[in-house]
Amino acid sequence: MMKVWEVYPLRVAFLSIPAALLISAVAITLLPPSVSFWVSGAVFVFSAFLFVAYAWGRHAGGLLVAPAIALLFIMNIFPLLWSFGLSFFHYRANRLAPPRFAGLHYYEKVLTDPVVWDRLQVTAQLVVLTVSLQMIVGFLLAMLFAKQFPLRRVLLILVLTPMMLSFVAVGAFFRYYYEPTFGLLSQAVRVFTGEPFVLLQSTAGAIAGIVFADAWMWSPFVMLLVLAGLVSVPKYLYEAASIDRISHWRRFWNITFPYVRSLLMLALLFRTIEAFKLFDVVFLLTEGGPGTSTETIAVYVYRVSFQYFKTSESAALAYILLFTVIVLTNLYLYFANQRNRT
Amino acid sequence: MSATDKKSLAERLGLKVYSGVGNAGWGRTLFAAVISFIYFFPVFWIILTAFKTHNDALAIPPKFIFSPTFENFVAVFSRAYSAGAAAQDTGFALYFFNSVFIAGTSVLLALAIGTLAAFGFSRYPLRGNDTYLFIILTTRMLPAIVVIIPIFLMFRVAGLSGTYIGVILLYTAFNLPFTIWMMKSFFDELSPDVEDAARIDGSSDRRVFFKICLPQVKAGLAATAVFGLILTWNEFLFALLLTGVDTRTVPVAMAQTIGGDIGVRWGLLAAIETLFLIPVIVVTFMLQNHLLRGVTFGTIKR
Amino acid sequence: MKHEKTLRAAVGGSAAVAVLSAGLMSAAPAFGEDVVLRMAVPDWPPTRIMKDLFDKNYKAKSGNNVTLEPDFIPWPDYYTRLSGSLTSGEKRYSMAVSDSQWLGAFIEGGYYQKLNDAIDADPELQQIMQDLNPALVDAYSTYPHKSKNYYGFPQMPDVLVAYYRTDVFCDEGEAAAFKAKYDADLPCTPEEMNNADWDMVQKFGEFFGRKKGETLSGKALDDDFYGIAYQAGKGYDFSTMQIASMIWQHGGDIWDETKAPTGKAEGVVNSPEAVKGFEHYLSLLQYMPPVVKTGTMDIFKQDELFREGKVAYMINWIGFAESSIDANTSKVSDKVDFAMAAGLKKADGSIDRTYNIGGQPFVLMTWNDDTTNTEALEFVKWWLSPETQVAFAKAGGQSGLKSVYEDPSYNSFRPWNHAFGTSLNNQKDIWHIPEFFELLVQQQAEFDKAITGQQDAKATLDAIAKFQEELLQETGHIE
Repeated sequence: MMKVWEVYPLRVAFLSIPAALLISAVAITLLPPSVSFWVSGAVFVFSAFLFVAYAWGRHAGGLLVAPAIALLFIMNIFPLLWSFGLSFFHYRANRLAPPRFAGLHYYEKVLTDPVVWDRLQVTAQLVVLTVSLQMIVGFLLAMLFAKQFPLRRVLLILVLTPMMLSFVAVGAFFRYYYEPTFGLLSQAVRVFTGEPFVLLQSTAGAIAGIVFADAWMWSPFVMLLVLAGLVSVPKYLYEAASIDRISHWRRFWNITFPYVRSLLMLALLFRTIEAFKLFDVVFLLTEGGPGTSTETIAVYVYRVSFQYFKTSESAALAYILLFTVIVLTNLYLYFANQRNRT
Repeated sequence: MSATDKKSLAERLGLKVYSGVGNAGWGRTLFAAVISFIYFFPVFWIILTAFKTHNDALAIPPKFIFSPTFENFVAVFSRAYSAGAAAQDTGFALYFFNSVFIAGTSVLLALAIGTLAAFGFSRYPLRGNDTYLFIILTTRMLPAIVVIIPIFLMFRVAGLSGTYIGVILLYTAFNLPFTIWMMKSFFDELSPDVEDAARIDGSSDRRVFFKICLPQVKAGLAATAVFGLILTWNEFLFALLLTGVDTRTVPVAMAQTIGGDIGVRWGLLAAIETLFLIPVIVVTFMLQNHLLRGVTFGTIKR
Repeated sequence: MKHEKTLRAAVGGSAAVAVLSAGLMSAAPAFGEDVVLRMAVPDWPPTRIMKDLFDKNYKAKSGNNVTLEPDFIPWPDYYTRLSGSLTSGEKRYSMAVSDSQWLGAFIEGGYYQKLNDAIDADPELQQIMQDLNPALVDAYSTYPHKSKNYYGFPQMPDVLVAYYRTDVFCDEGEAAAFKAKYDADLPCTPEEMNNADWDMVQKFGEFFGRKKGETLSGKALDDDFYGIAYQAGKGYDFSTMQIASMIWQHGGDIWDETKAPTGKAEGVVNSPEAVKGFEHYLSLLQYMPPVVKTGTMDIFKQDELFREGKVAYMINWIGFAESSIDANTSKVSDKVDFAMAAGLKKADGSIDRTYNIGGQPFVLMTWNDDTTNTEALEFVKWWLSPETQVAFAKAGGQSGLKSVYEDPSYNSFRPWNHAFGTSLNNQKDIWHIPEFFELLVQQQAEFDKAITGQQDAKATLDAIAKFQEELLQETGHIE
């Protein structure tokens, strides 16, 4: 249905976008930031107008879409392009020196930086673990709640609550749960071993702690999506299956699973995108320690952009992340389309 | 009902759960209750802590039975900042109002703008419609920290920094991609026959939209609203950087209970979190049935 | 509505916008009488007290109607918010409370205002600068470090001091057992505790480490008890402050920015003395609560452990002292006393107590117009006047003015004040250069590896020295 790689005929409206990019690149090179910001801003808003006008002329829908497009342009796409532009310049937000053109320097630097690869590895590890755990727990919870039973609504709310909590509270309290002197986990283990239990002292323990907290918080999200899938399975299929005396396992595999699969994919996608940005839980629980063994790429982006003020480098880094996420999204869309065909 | 009666013990306990929708009895309730409480326990502990004095909060062994106090809830709104000083207003009444106002307005605004756009995308597809939809989704994947500086600049020049309008507009944009995607799939789902019939009868486009299409996607609106609310409610980074002292939201102000002149004020943090959970739980509970139906509709067919 | 306006303006072209924004910027403080000092401050008692004192007592001499509008930002997110605001060019604040180490980054960015001209023109300010403890002026005000360029004034000075439990240290039974074991007297009064060196602290650690069920001061313990605690956390500077102090005391050094560009990192940071100092630091960790093994025992965690009665002796900032004697937040509120933090005994018998300074200065911004700036300096003078400083100290703050803290009555305001003034002269500070965070983050991560037992002291300092040497060469701080 949707294929990004499909090429659409370029019209004036769309030509304006590369033109806008070019003009703002020139502006950022030559003018002070406060002026070039507005020059590029004006150019981009202008091309947005061209786009809307184009849509308007051809479709009544343009009118309906325009407010959303305008708002997204100003609040999202414009800042995105601004930092995209910066990634090709030498620029540090805490220096007075004007930006100088750097070409692909920062992309090269980021991609060859062993620290970045190390952080990506840590992130990949955490993403795989936390997302799989969420999928499994979310799936099991969904199965539990798939049927109607007394008090289902109330119990469901209990399970949904974790994802409504603030990161500050989750971070602070999980740190307390894991803490060897006061923490509940250590207290519980101590009953059996007599020794305080120090979960976060090793890399494996720290990863386990982070994964557990994050999966706990977001499994309900997976559950909701899977539940939706389970609820959507037409009843007659089960009735037919029970007449044919098909085993539980095959019934699950042949009837239930196909309905849940694409929703699992959706959950997988959303959770992977979010897990890539895993920041708060890590920062509050382990601060990336012991050493740097749980420092994720999102924590690193924060350090590079806000602590080291390597603005251009952080923009390049962010774009590489964004690219990765877009690839993942397309994978999802591919799978989702597969499902639509079945 | 007769099918339920014939269930084996294992099924009544909910052990064979994958047979799809249907009814289960109190056996399942019991089983689900045990699981839910285990799952809920960390939250339960936070709520318990909200009623504990500072000395009880970290007691060893952990206290399940204690004499509850409301001092933490009082301290959320008014407390002394130094020993012996008079209690000051902490500003939390305002922060709670801000959270409700900002999250509520931006979710509703996103719903209004997003539903219109979704209707447009669904009924009057542009050339390259899907590409635009995809780009819109992409904006949701940005690492926030990277775009924050240009947003800052924009806000300053426009005078939006620290204002309600600024942060509401930002959150509206933040919620839009999800709203558009979700609502579009609802509109796609509707049968065109009714609309066509109405049009033949001479109804205007506006009438078709308000009188025919919109009532049919109520569930979708509810589901989108709940998801939007949950995401906006706890948003932290934009709120930290773009709100002023008068427009600050609770997630930002909550951090004052950790790492100032004292490590963590456990009771206070727990009390704030407990109070902060109430609105979003109430809304979710009220819209729960719509939510489940909404998710189903919204994702099964894009 | 407003964004539509922006949109139109933007389309109108940059010229129109430039006019508009210029108009917006100059519009606010142009009309005389009302002056707002908008100040970014961390949300904690020293700034809350400041706001309180201001509202009660402040009257501008100029007759202008001056209001102080602090933007109270929670400490954990304070840096993010401040740097976000400054680097974006938002120009929202006219003043800010800043950690001293951020000076370089924000001065180079053109945000913090150089105050030399203002000080030269104002005898009152000169008098204040004279009266301030020189260690505070160096750390809070000068950039480059220890130069004659001034940028800040102390808002809340802070030092590391020793907190200890009188019920443990002054117990006769414990004293006798200690004497029997080590042939040394267990210190009890602050004067005695002031003489404790690291060897003594090691003995505290060994002697007071007790298991659940053993007795302490004649009572059976219902939980494990630990002798000592100091900072060993990965976040921010929550191990560097103690480790740097230890290295200085052992005669080692960190990379010294005042010796740039000839001063090296390699060979200095990982000198044998520095390694010895760091090893000494690591050797005491075994006597601390088990959370130290996770590398997250930051200043807050050790403070909490102390207040919950798990630790006999702790080194921490004075800023935490108030909550440890408050019965609402502390289980040991009636049995705490304070002394100077332990140091290293030298061959001549004196104790080296070089420590890393804490606390924060406040700074003025470069974009302030004249009226705001004048009123901001008036506010500074009011804040650093003896009356205000005494009121602040009585409410729980600290003063860096010699005339205030050297006055004998100062020690009676708060039980820890006697340790404050005497400690001030021994304070040094780590770097202030713009690359501060890069140096700090890498160093904290390496320290954390050593604290959690992943690598030894030598390897850690070698890794730090190598990183610093490369980074500082790249940025021109080392030739």
